[in-house]
Amino acid sequence: MENVLRPRRAWGLPLIALTLLAAPAARAAEADGPAAVVEPKETTWSAIAPDVFPEQVVGDAEGVVALAAPTRAEDAALVPLTVSLSLPPGDPRSFKGVTVVIDENPSPVAGRFSFGDGQKDFALSLRTRVNSYSYVRAIAETNDGKLHMAKAYVKAAGGCSAPATKDTADSIAHLGDIRFRSFADAGKNEAQVQIRHPNFSGLQMDEATRGYTPAWFVREVKVTQGGHLLLGMEGGISISEDPTFRFSYKASAEPVTVRAEDTEGKVFTRTFPGGGS
Amino acid sequence: MIGPRGGVKGGARRLAGMGLLAALVLLGPGGPAARGAEPALDADLAVAEPSDYRFEPYRAPTPATLAGAQVLSTAQAEALWRAKGAVFVDVLPRPPRPANLPAGTLWRDLPHDSIPGSAWLPNVGFGALDGASQRYFEDGLTALTGGDRHRLVVLFCLKDCWMSWNAAKRALAGGFDRVAWFPEGVDGWKAAGLPLERLEPWQPGPAR
Repeated sequence: MENVLRPRRAWGLPLIALTLLAAPAARAAEADGPAAVVEPKETTWSAIAPDVFPEQVVGDAEGVVALAAPTRAEDAALVPLTVSLSLPPGDPRSFKGVTVVIDENPSPVAGRFSFGDGQKDFALSLRTRVNSYSYVRAIAETNDGKLHMAKAYVKAAGGCSAPATKDTADSIAHLGDIRFRSFADAGKNEAQVQIRHPNFSGLQMDEATRGYTPAWFVREVKVTQGGHLLLGMEGGISISEDPTFRFSYKASAEPVTVRAEDTEGKVFTRTFPGGGS
Repeated sequence: MIGPRGGVKGGARRLAGMGLLAALVLLGPGGPAARGAEPALDADLAVAEPSDYRFEPYRAPTPATLAGAQVLSTAQAEALWRAKGAVFVDVLPRPPRPANLPAGTLWRDLPHDSIPGSAWLPNVGFGALDGASQRYFEDGLTALTGGDRHRLVVLFCLKDCWMSWNAAKRALAGGFDRVAWFPEGVDGWKAAGLPLERLEPWQPGPAR
């Protein structure tokens, strides 16, 4: 510790021919120029796509999938995404599911979502963690086995490692509380499900223990109505605290059941009125 | 020239390395070259140096100084690197794969390009370290310097990242007496068009 107390003058850096100083500055000026307008590279996606969709070709959006995401996230731990799936009238296909990928997150698959048969028009909003500037992708699968991808580039940083907050303690206190709400009364064919859970990513530093807080998150959600799957999710560490999903829903009198299971095997189930008549 | 504290032998080794350079300018902290390389800090924007380690948020403007350490511009870091005059240590954090992810979870350790020849000691720049991380840091520095606490050690990560500031402070606390902090880090290096090399985290070798 004596080193800290010693005056900074204690040693000098032997160095540097003045001729060496000029070169890097010139190179820096060149490097700054054209780089600003270049679209971010797809290097990461090229590396992970074969693991996310083994032996499958990922096609373009072809107008059947769209993804809305903020260009710059206000809170990297709560980045809202909206995926819209829509087939043109008369198209015989339907959707099997949609996978949300955040390229630069260490666990890039944020969630795989599924729905019951015959889904031709579906919107889903969720909140995610984005760990660094990254492409975010929604890859929809139609029942002919084809994949259709939409993407957006999000500027956010540190979402997966953002430390726990007071809200996190509240989530733990209400662990497994589930809310379901139909927006039929507001004239919208939508519903929202929220599961109270800290959804620890495993990348958050706990400054009390000085180590990483172990991963602990909701890994599976099933929202069903009369045996029909409204929304299924297999989720990873990129889903934000208190997982919340807003999705297309036509209210009916039939009760809705939400079942969630976390990585510790804890199961939370609750049944709600369907919100319609 | 101010000699290192490492005694004659270490000093001779360093002098040999420096023979590569045609003209040597002695740079004391705050010397003319150091001032020239740093943009003038607006006094209102200047970040004060904290007395202790820095905690969250780590990605934020850093101070111009670290008590006890030399602060390097990119040009100074480059000259040191070309002269092979120091041990370069990258402390960019990279979280390990959580142990309890569901089977089949896709995990991809983010590739990291850094200053060629440097050693990557991830996760040693937090405000506090657990025992394992502290040992990893100490073992790493000891191995990389061959146990010579008078070797010049350059700590860096990214621009506006306190992890390198913390790590440099931690190296001083660990008894290394020639510690340099390179605040621009890989960002400054890249912006200067200098070469990069893909790194993997440093691993302790088998016990000797």
